Amino acid sequence: MDKHRQGATASYVVLALCAVVWVVLPAAVHRFAQEAFAEFQAPALHLAGKARDLARFWELKSRDKEEILAASRDLARANAALELQLRRYEDIRKENVRLREMLRYNPPPEYLTVVARVAVRDSSTWWQRIVIRKGSDDGVRAGCPVIFSDRVIGKVAVAHHTTSEVDLITSPNFRCTGFLESDEQNRIVLITGAPGRGLASGRSRVTAIPQDYVYPVGNAPKVTTTGLGGVYPAGLILGHLEGGQRTTQDGNFRESSLTPTRDLFSLQEVTVLVPKYPTPGEILLEDQAQKRLDELR
Amino acid sequence: MVWAWFIVLLATLPGLWVADLLTDSLAGTNLVVFISGAAIVAPCRRLKRWQAVLFAACVGFLFEARRPIPLGTLPFLLAGLSIFLTSNRILLRNTPLVLRGAVLCNTLACTAWFTAAGLRAGAFAQGDLGDFTLQLLIQVGFAAAIALLVFVPLALIQDAAMDRTGLPPALESP
Repeated sequence: MDKHRQGATASYVVLALCAVVWVVLPAAVHRFAQEAFAEFQAPALHLAGKARDLARFWELKSRDKEEILAASRDLARANAALELQLRRYEDIRKENVRLREMLRYNPPPEYLTVVARVAVRDSSTWWQRIVIRKGSDDGVRAGCPVIFSDRVIGKVAVAHHTTSEVDLITSPNFRCTGFLESDEQNRIVLITGAPGRGLASGRSRVTAIPQDYVYPVGNAPKVTTTGLGGVYPAGLILGHLEGGQRTTQDGNFRESSLTPTRDLFSLQEVTVLVPKYPTPGEILLEDQAQKRLDELR
Repeated sequence: MVWAWFIVLLATLPGLWVADLLTDSLAGTNLVVFISGAAIVAPCRRLKRWQAVLFAACVGFLFEARRPIPLGTLPFLLAGLSIFLTSNRILLRNTPLVLRGAVLCNTLACTAWFTAAGLRAGAFAQGDLGDFTLQLLIQVGFAAAIALLVFVPLALIQDAAMDRTGLPPALESP
């Protein structure tokens, strides 16, 4: 019995030593362990996403023929309307190119778009995430903005080989700057994710709203990205400002909540905007890594 | 058998993935279907201590790998719990006791990752301790209920896998 107890004590001591060693180990080892376990689970996530697609396929396949005919008729109408719109956009595009040539304006760095299906959603008080079925093998990098149409969904938190984790705009880790609609002075507000309360899903908070900002009558004002910081292109919709505004403790600003324009957990597909050139943040991190390497040498 | 812990881990994986899928379907409610704590209890009755520790650490890492929790929190806690359980197998001598152990382990592990993730997200810096406690109670209560519901089928699968690997049966007494 004593031998058994000694063995248990020795195990606790070894575990404590392992924990200490784990804390002291360089971040690269932690990252490697995390990546290894994440990659191990990646096929299951793909399978889950594909199973959902298959279920949707069979659900659609089991529909009545008349229902499908009605849907295709509606789609044909929508297509005709969209074609007209497309021609108008083509004219606008040509005019835009002509004006840029006249002004010798350098277009902003373009983004590559990577369309990705949502594999699984993961939400807790401290994180609001979706896992998408595209990763670093498809060019996705950590920090890339994720959008749906012209709406911001979030930002890539971690890019694995074939999957990526996306922090949604309601996630407490999310930070972004924005402009308020109908604010003629274009003053910058700060948008941060906030932990959910009770069983309510996460929300976003808009802070640094100027005291003299007049809340427009009618529709809730849109909050759009500023393009500052080089992560999100300017003009994307972050959400709508809620009515209830509170004055901050210092009395200089007001704050309010942001309602996302879509139910973030009902998304099936999103678009990742991959910058063609490294963003300022990436360049900064690269420089810091280089400096650390030089110091070590 | 040296690789018994790995075979049990493979047998446990579908259960962990089903928990992930349930979390997916509950995404709008902020609740995580957490079963990693309960998953280590049945193997601790039959695996050797070092095997149980490896198994528990892997289960912990599998949960943490895709979530913003300080890395190492859950694996080391589960490894510690597995040492305790393998050293006190008398505490797991019959089904009600095993079920109680599963609920306790799941609750304890859930408290650990929730607190660690909260610390990382700056929950205490905001000073809203009441809200943190409420959220913790909801998540921990849910984890306890899930452990009660899920433990028996999960333990049956794990026991079947351990039978196949030829591990000696667990200590049983009324």
